Amino acid sequence: MKVEYLNPFVEGVDHVFQTMLKIKPERKGVKLSDPTKPNGERITALIGISGQVGGVVALRFPPATALALASRFLGMKAETVDDMVIDSVSELVNMVAGQAKARFEHDPPLRLGLPTVVQGADYRVSYPAKSVWLEVPYGSEAGEFTMEVTYSAN
Amino acid sequence: MKALVVDDSLTIRRIVIKALDLAGITDVAEACNGAEAVTAAQGGGFDLILMDWNMPQMSGIEALAKLRAGGCKTPIIMVTTEAEKTRVIEAIKTGANDYLIKPFAPEQLAEKVKRLAPSAA
Repeated sequence: MKVEYLNPFVEGVDHVFQTMLKIKPERKGVKLSDPTKPNGERITALIGISGQVGGVVALRFPPATALALASRFLGMKAETVDDMVIDSVSELVNMVAGQAKARFEHDPPLRLGLPTVVQGADYRVSYPAKSVWLEVPYGSEAGEFTMEVTYSAN
Repeated sequence: MKALVVDDSLTIRRIVIKALDLAGITDVAEACNGAEAVTAAQGGGFDLILMDWNMPQMSGIEALAKLRAGGCKTPIIMVTTEAEKTRVIEAIKTGANDYLIKPFAPEQLAEKVKRLAPSAA
């Protein structure tokens, strides 16, 4: 995966978080993602992009961050990871992917799948062997989270 | 003034309903996909429809086409992550009255609603 493919997703995170949540996330570098590394309890929202190029973008949140973001999103305090919180994080990744695919400016436009959310502790999400994933850790006033992206020409 | 909010995300429906409230519309019904929207809208009684694009079972653009083909004249605002110009043009050609890209601030949607349904303000 070319690093320049990452920028539309990074811009998407900035725009979505600042517009919908009034939060300015702080990016903490970029690294290759290691799917074998235990990551504790996480809620992962992911969505596929297809067309002339294809990829997946995932947002991975500790439960406390997901609760804080959902509370901000909904304008009411979320205290447990329920369907509403799951829906909130899935909508966040949906909007990030939508912003990214528009920035790629493909004609015809790339297509978005429907978001999927996985939750649990120390699970491993396996991707096709040739996929290279880039991971972008973020800090924010709502807590830490990471974005992971794989993207390539078909 | 009654509005129909169509989105598979409960979170977005809540945010859209808050924006409608800002615009003075409190009588709101909800649908989770295009098929539900077509059924609800064909029953009549709505002054405004807010429609997502990507939804399971039937997309918003399909629902928009069905509603316009069936003679529905209710103003429809697409509220969607589809941000490309070609998508906006496709929606307007299909019969959308306005288009709002997610993410959005509730005030942006309220402004569009007031312009399209001034009697709500």
